Amino acid sequence: MLQFIIRRTVGAVVTLFLIGAVTFFLFVAAPSDYASLACGKDCSPQRLEDIRQALGLNLPITQQFWDFMSGIFVGRDFPTGHCTAPCLGQSFYSGEMVWSTIMDRFPTTLTLTAGGAVVFLVVGVGAGMIAAYRRGSVVDKVATSASMVLSSFQIYLLGPIVLWIFVYSTGWMENPGYVPITQDPWGWFVGMLLPTLVMATIFTAQYTRMARSSMIEQLAEEHVRTARAKGMSRKYVFFRYAWRGALIPIVTVLGIDLSSMLGGAVVTELTFSLQGIGRLAVDGAIHKDLPMTMGVMLFGAFFILIFNILTDIAYAWIDPRVRLS
Amino acid sequence: MTTLTKTEDASAPTGPESFLSVRDLKVQFSTEDGIVKAVDGLSFDVERGKTLGIVGESGSGKSVTNLTILGLHNPRTSTIDGEIVLDGKELVTAGERELERLRGNKMAMIFQDPLTALSPFYTVGRQLSEPFMKHRGASRKEARDRAIQMLEKVGIPQPKVRFDDYPHQFSGGMRQRAMIAMALMCDPELLIADEPTTALDVTVQAQILDLLKDLQQEFGSAIIFITHDLGVISHMADDLLVMYAGRAVERGTVREVLHEPKHPYTWGLLSSMPRLDSDLDQHLTPIPGSPPSLLNPPAGCRFHPRCAFKEEVQGNLCSEVRPPLGDGRAAACHLTAEQKQTIFIDKIQPRLR
Amino acid sequence: MKSFSSRRAQAIVVAFAAGSLVLTGCSENKGSDTGANSKKDQQEASVQSKAVTYADAAGSTGPAEDIAGAESGGTITVYQEAGLSHLDPGQIYVSDAGQVANLLFRRLTQFQEDDKGNVSVVGDLATDSGKSSDGGKTWTFTLKDDVKDAKGNVITSADVRHSVERLYAKFIFDGPTYLQNWLSGAKYRDALPKGGFDGKHLPKSVLDTPDDKTVIFHFDTPRQDLPQTLAMAGYAIVPAKDDTKEKYDTAPVATGPYKIKSYKNGKSLVLVKNTNWDPKTDSVRHQYVDGFNFQFGVTESTQTKRLIADQGGDKNAIQFTGGVEATQIQDVIKNPSVNKRTVKGYQPYVMQLTFNLDRVKNLKVRQAVTYALNSKSLIAGEGGVYGGDVAPNYFAPTLPGYEAGYDPYGRLKTPQGNIAKAKELLKDVPAAEKKVVFAYGNTENGQKRKVAIEDALSKVGFDVVSKEVDAASYYEQIGKLKNPYDMYVTGWGQDWPSPSTVITPIYDGDQVSDGASNYSHVNDPKVQELIKKALNQKPEEAAATWKEAQHYLLEKVVPAAPLWYTKQFQLSGSNVGGTRYSSVSSLLDINHLFLKKS
Repeated sequence: MLQFIIRRTVGAVVTLFLIGAVTFFLFVAAPSDYASLACGKDCSPQRLEDIRQALGLNLPITQQFWDFMSGIFVGRDFPTGHCTAPCLGQSFYSGEMVWSTIMDRFPTTLTLTAGGAVVFLVVGVGAGMIAAYRRGSVVDKVATSASMVLSSFQIYLLGPIVLWIFVYSTGWMENPGYVPITQDPWGWFVGMLLPTLVMATIFTAQYTRMARSSMIEQLAEEHVRTARAKGMSRKYVFFRYAWRGALIPIVTVLGIDLSSMLGGAVVTELTFSLQGIGRLAVDGAIHKDLPMTMGVMLFGAFFILIFNILTDIAYAWIDPRVRLS
Repeated sequence: MTTLTKTEDASAPTGPESFLSVRDLKVQFSTEDGIVKAVDGLSFDVERGKTLGIVGESGSGKSVTNLTILGLHNPRTSTIDGEIVLDGKELVTAGERELERLRGNKMAMIFQDPLTALSPFYTVGRQLSEPFMKHRGASRKEARDRAIQMLEKVGIPQPKVRFDDYPHQFSGGMRQRAMIAMALMCDPELLIADEPTTALDVTVQAQILDLLKDLQQEFGSAIIFITHDLGVISHMADDLLVMYAGRAVERGTVREVLHEPKHPYTWGLLSSMPRLDSDLDQHLTPIPGSPPSLLNPPAGCRFHPRCAFKEEVQGNLCSEVRPPLGDGRAAACHLTAEQKQTIFIDKIQPRLR
Repeated sequence: MKSFSSRRAQAIVVAFAAGSLVLTGCSENKGSDTGANSKKDQQEASVQSKAVTYADAAGSTGPAEDIAGAESGGTITVYQEAGLSHLDPGQIYVSDAGQVANLLFRRLTQFQEDDKGNVSVVGDLATDSGKSSDGGKTWTFTLKDDVKDAKGNVITSADVRHSVERLYAKFIFDGPTYLQNWLSGAKYRDALPKGGFDGKHLPKSVLDTPDDKTVIFHFDTPRQDLPQTLAMAGYAIVPAKDDTKEKYDTAPVATGPYKIKSYKNGKSLVLVKNTNWDPKTDSVRHQYVDGFNFQFGVTESTQTKRLIADQGGDKNAIQFTGGVEATQIQDVIKNPSVNKRTVKGYQPYVMQLTFNLDRVKNLKVRQAVTYALNSKSLIAGEGGVYGGDVAPNYFAPTLPGYEAGYDPYGRLKTPQGNIAKAKELLKDVPAAEKKVVFAYGNTENGQKRKVAIEDALSKVGFDVVSKEVDAASYYEQIGKLKNPYDMYVTGWGQDWPSPSTVITPIYDGDQVSDGASNYSHVNDPKVQELIKKALNQKPEEAAATWKEAQHYLLEKVVPAAPLWYTKQFQLSGSNVGGTRYSSVSSLLDINHLFLKKS
């Protein structure tokens, strides 16, 4: 197991490096660069040169890339001060250090992700399992049709409706926004409630459907029937035998969902005017802000790789065939 | 010799010594396409210490019958009619909790494919221990000892070590042995083996069959042995029931049915079975046509669309009237006893020899 | 505030926001009240376009006149979509940072507006708007007593000198360059490579500080506009002791009524009262509210929704540089209680269809296009009457010298275009020249412009080939001298109310180069002659010269077809008082706000 983790970690670092390199050179190869964009209208060659110099864009590409990559491990010095490792550079656009900007925005995204995950795992998977257990019952029919309807909704549709109901038309709640939990736990809860619930609603619907169908699939497995033939009760078989197998698809999708959500829940953030990682990514790309884009890309890729490893560890925990082969 | 001969004259063959008695069992599934009559009026008995073989093509209702005995059919989609009496206890109307107490305890089942029938997520030992702990109220330690003892009994080497292995670490034959050990954990009085050897190679198959026989002698269980392999059945069973399209078409002792078959379907089965000692140039004779859809089964004798001898019967009897299956040694066919005798001797026997 | 889509990378954000501007064509906008409304706007604009007056010491003395009914206290919430480009005054050129600078930074001079829209230049740190001598080549400013920065240090002439000299350093690259060019020429950085940080200074013959209170500028040529130039946020004071060079851009020291409490670019900016600001020294600014709480990342659409709803904290909120989102304009104007919370006015931008004169050489073709264009359908795409008004010429209503009735192509009479006239001009034009390549940004707005222009031009017999251009690098693409397009929509606005900041940058033949703002590449000796003449004249005399230049350009050269004037339409919460449109910032007058006690 340890060897597995070490091997995967090394692989992840190499992958991150490759992602970094590809992003960097793709960005550099793009037809338009930040300097000419920033130079904007009435741009003179002199001005362009000044901007390039101020941003370090006049250095050779390889040098820029090396500075960026080495900065991650040893930090870098900028005219505005030292950037400690892990230094992801300094945003062209805002002039702020990319890492500290990401760290500043991350709690918002983390709240959305963690809060959403709690809701959709408890409610979504729970409802799916109850529906599967009581397959064909009224409970099942309600859960199935509700999840059908909700999962065809989109955040950008549901979000504005919820905002209109709870904020604009009635004033029951203030505009959503992030307040650090350390500063004001209640404000944090209230501020993130609507975005988290709206996002979780969509996911809940998907997880309900997934949990239900994979439970039903598992219940039809022969080994589940064998367990029943041994005289084990329906409930016991449901929670011991079927549940375990049904976990595998859920864990797979959960790993993908969580990693992409931590890399930025763009639509939710935009709909609710939140400042999370997704917003940084979009703005970075729009502004051709290379360091910010690189930073957010790597940050997101980091989570994808981490969750990839975690998912594999979860597989091994769930299924001894994976563990022992 | 058997109950079957003894009760030949009785219309209700429910002998007091019958351990399991199935009477006029009807199982129907509702599907999107309509109602499937999977089992349609099936009756048979099994005695303690004896083995009843059930043969028939896939979809003939063999497996459904046995799942129904255990109560493992899907209650949402299936309706059960008739009666199943196990040691004086009516099972069709029994509650779920009662069935749970019987399953794995008084009656146990060995499934066809030990790879999929054992859970990949738990150790063999744990899967063996569970029913013992549940039915006998045994402690983990007691269950472990019992499981190891059973693993040893079914011939698994180093049972103490193998106890903690997962099914995928076992070979196919070992898995089937473990399956059998699991079924035997609580000394079941009725053992249902659903094609327990089909997934195994021939040498292992023979070992498993011997094992089952030995165990039966030791425990005195009644066994229902389901298979489509007539060769296997001749080794294993005392009595034999031939099923076709949800109905029993012939019944008798193994010897009677295999040596003097009386139903055209049984003839077909026997003719289509390869034999080790047959000539190489001897052609196998498959039964023409294919089994009927149980959504809309043929009226009268369900075999008549495929039957080569229906012309021998007067009128439209075969396609209109369901031939009754008598008690004891019997075949559900409209041919007269003489006709059967003649046809068998003239046309069938030469093919079998 | 020079370019339409502000100078920096925000260009894109603006373009995107503009893309979302116009989802509904709003046919209601073309109703009968439209004309009346536009006329009223034009009347207001004629006030906007009055010549700026230079105030004396009396007009420059604080405190500013009280606003009727104003109350103190409370915090205003400010909504803005994109983060600020800069906070270092030397780097500030565009409206968002400029608007913040109005709260944070003082300069030598400052614009002052009254409720009628009259604009004057007053002394800010200086006691008056400046005294010129030597025919406008020498300007002398005397500093007010005891003006302090947020740290309590008194601002002296050395601080003013430092503020100018630091602009020569390499790390200042985004702000205006007028003053530097005027003092030291186009290669001004060579005159003081280290920006004065190495102890070297500009010679006294250029910038002199004879004592703590006096600053003297010496120029080669008369610089009549200097008081207005110095009122730009880009020339605000950076006290020498406070300067942290590159780091100053995120943590500047305030001199105005508010200072920064916390700043996270792109996320939040919290301003609180600067207790070292003395109202007695300031004739323009107020300090009614306790502070401003900026929230970035709130789209124009969300800003509008929140402010229309006017719930809870949004009662105290304003829009910053964003306006009412086009799809919600009807929701605003149809609801009187919402509509009364708006301010509107002309922005200084004139949108035009610029011809690439290197490719479209036939004057008749350019004139035919100018006649054929349908201003009405173009404006409908911008949000109707609240998004823009038909532009008959190159001067915006905010520019001194604006002639409302100067309409050589009859655009006001036939905003849908004069098809007959265009066809007549095209009669002898060979077919090859009737094939024109039009470039447009790949935004929703760009798409609408494309449809309107294709439609109008093909009606008179043009074969229009439309080429989509990445909106983010739109100005970069069309700014290339060798660009492959015949025509493109561009916008330009004045830096201060003088045609010199319009005619010079976009029609001066000396300015033709890659990336420069002369997008038509016009290089006409007569125009250059007129520009030179006007720059050496006093504003009153220059007005006639600029007028001649415009008439000559529009009638004889036709480097561009005027399309529409852009308009500002902003909304604020019901608790916000003192709201009025500032023609200088072309936004809500942020120095004129207070919160009503509810």
